[in-house]
Order: sequence, then C-alpha cells, then structure tokens
Amino acid sequence: MVTKTEESELKNLEIQVDNGGGGAWEYLSLVRKLKVRRSDKVLKHGLSILNDSKLRSKLGADEWTLYEQVAVAAMDCQCLDVAQDCTKALRKRFSESKRVGRLKAMLLEAKGSWEKAEKAYSSLLEDNPLDQIIHKRRVAMAKAQGNISGAIEWLNKYLEIFMADHDAWRELAEIYSSLQMYKQAAFCYEEVILAQPTVPLYHLAYADVLYTLGGLENVQTAKKYYASTIDLTGGKNTRALFGICLCTSAIAQLAKGKNKEDKEGSQLQSLAAKALERDYKQRAPDKLPQLTTALKSLTLSS
Amino acid sequence: MGLGFTIGFIGVLILFHAAYSTIQYRTLLKITEEEFSGSPLIVVIELTLGLLLCTWAALNVPGKFLCILPDSDENRIVSLPGNLDFMIFNHRGKIFPVEMNERLRH
Repeated sequence: MVTKTEESELKNLEIQVDNGGGGAWEYLSLVRKLKVRRSDKVLKHGLSILNDSKLRSKLGADEWTLYEQVAVAAMDCQCLDVAQDCTKALRKRFSESKRVGRLKAMLLEAKGSWEKAEKAYSSLLEDNPLDQIIHKRRVAMAKAQGNISGAIEWLNKYLEIFMADHDAWRELAEIYSSLQMYKQAAFCYEEVILAQPTVPLYHLAYADVLYTLGGLENVQTAKKYYASTIDLTGGKNTRALFGICLCTSAIAQLAKGKNKEDKEGSQLQSLAAKALERDYKQRAPDKLPQLTTALKSLTLSS
Repeated sequence: MGLGFTIGFIGVLILFHAAYSTIQYRTLLKITEEEFSGSPLIVVIELTLGLLLCTWAALNVPGKFLCILPDSDENRIVSLPGNLDFMIFNHRGKIFPVEMNERLRH
C-alpha cells in the first residue's frame, strides 16, 4: 500500500535524482520497498550507479540486489542486452542459484522464446516444486501469450496449494473481471477483502462488481460495501458516494412492487448527495449544475 | 531538544526535592507526635511545578507526533502496489523503446 507520505517522498526523490542531485540509491531502495513499477528511471539511475566503480564498491553486498533490479527493469524497457549483461554478471558470482536461474528464464520470456522459457521454468520446478514465484511466472507467461484460459487454469491450481496469497487472488479477480465473469471475480475479491480488510480500494472494487452483476440482493450488498468504503476513507472517496446514490435508486426501482424500508435508504442517499455537492463546490464548482441535475434525475427515476 | 532535556531534568530534580521535603516534614511530625494530614502548602506548589515541567518535557522531547487515523491526509492509501510477481514484458511499451545508449561497462 502506497500512502500519501510515501508517494510524495518518492516523487521528491525522483525529481532530485532526475535533476542531477544525489540520492539515487535511496530512490532505488524506496522503489524496491514500495513495489512500484518505474522501470525507465530504475534502469537509467541503476545503470549509472553500476557503471561507476566507486559507487558500486560503496554498496558492498547490496550491489547484487541492484543488478537484479536493473536486470528486471531492463527487461521491462526492452533493453535486452543490458539485461543479458546483468544476468551474466550475477551468474558469474552466484553460479548455482535458483534466483539467478529464475532471472535467466525471465530473460527468455522477455525475448519472446516461450517454449525455452517454459522448459526452463519446468526444470526449475522439478528441483523446487513449491517455489511460489516460479508458479506465478508461469501464470504471467500464459497471460503474456494471450492464453487467458490457460492462465486462469494455472492460477487456480496455484491457489489450491497457496490459498493465502492475496496478490494471486487479486490477479485472478482482475482476470475474471476482464473476461466479464463477474460472479467468479466477486468470489476472488471476497478472498482479498478477507486477507486485507482495511484497504478501501478492495471494498470499492467488490462493490463495483456486485453492482455490475445486478439483482436486488447484489445491489443491496454493493450499497453496504460502498458504505464501508466511505467509512474507511473518511468520506473522501467520490466514487463510493456516487455508488451509494446509484445503488439506492437501483434498489428503489427493483423493489417497486414490495414495500421495503424506504426511509433509511433515502436518508443515506440524501446524505451522500449533500457530501457530493459539497465536494464539487470545493473542487470543481463549474461542474456543480451538471451534478445537481444528475442527482435529481436519480431520485426522480426511483 | 536540548532545552527539553534540561527542563525535564530540572522537573525531576524539583519532584525529588518535594519528596525529600515531605519525608523531612513527616519525621519532624513524628518527633512532635502530631498527625500527618498533608504536605505543607509550599511543597504542594513545588510538586505542581515539577509536574508541569516534566509534562512539558515529555511532550516535546520525543519529536513530531504522527497521525494514527487511516484516512488522514498523510496516511491515506494512494495506490496499490503493482502486482510485480505477475509482471509481463509483452506490453504496448515495446513500441516505444527507451533511448538507452548506455550499456553495462565491465
């Protein structure tokens, strides 16, 4: 989870390093810690550190981590010769390491030789059948080749063994959403929320999927999860506020025949509408009339 | 920081002095066989002064207090970490190669 302080720190370091000030190693360590994907900057600054023998010797044992980070960044930016050189340097130092073997297989993947990479991964798996990262690389390779159903199959097999890996559940949820298999995506998001209940973005995504599925119970549950997102973000999430308004009007439409509780629902909707109007007045006052007409049409159509 | 430490130290000294005065007063009362109802007023004032100084030092020495609310402006989650274990290299960025003229030199 990247918090606002960490993001501003990252941005400041990035500006500082881009403009020639020092601090490249701190920037690279922060990128590694936060797991963000800044491959072009990592490549440029990492390579400048590695090519300077003084800075390299100052790193000590960390230089091999830097080699690995630069190798992956080079593969992402399609500079395959740089990646090859870094992998060769790592192989010279650690000849019998499965981490380096994994890097070699990733290089084959980046080059596009899928069969060779598949063979490399299978041979690595024979030695360590319970290596999580290699399983995940196989899934990623299937995804890269466009074989989404194969990726789903591999990922399901992986999750049968490692059920607690919330990253894999999140990946599976995103794959299912992209294929519009929303019921399965909802199941995966439930697992993710179970693993990390305090991240409001997962609640939001789950509520979105439920609202897309439609049907009275799903929309009611979606309204509850939009409400929990608002709770977790202190009322600042605009998408969740909109979600509440839409859910209330959808429920009113779906439950037209049955006389369910209207008072609570409309109170929540009016509160959300007021919060939205206040937010728009503060941040985008010229869009406020469009908002008021849209909200009015929602309440009228219910 | 130095000021906080000195003020805290002075506050602790004042508290010890107040304690010592109270003990002395009690021994005096034991000699004259009177009951010990409470410390003399001046010692109570000294005690409050020591308390105030120590509280001020305790709040100022540790430094800036961090916010604990998860939705405060510093702690709110801005973005999720990109799922780097499932990163693929076969993306649209392949068409825009990075202008990388440098290579690993050694």
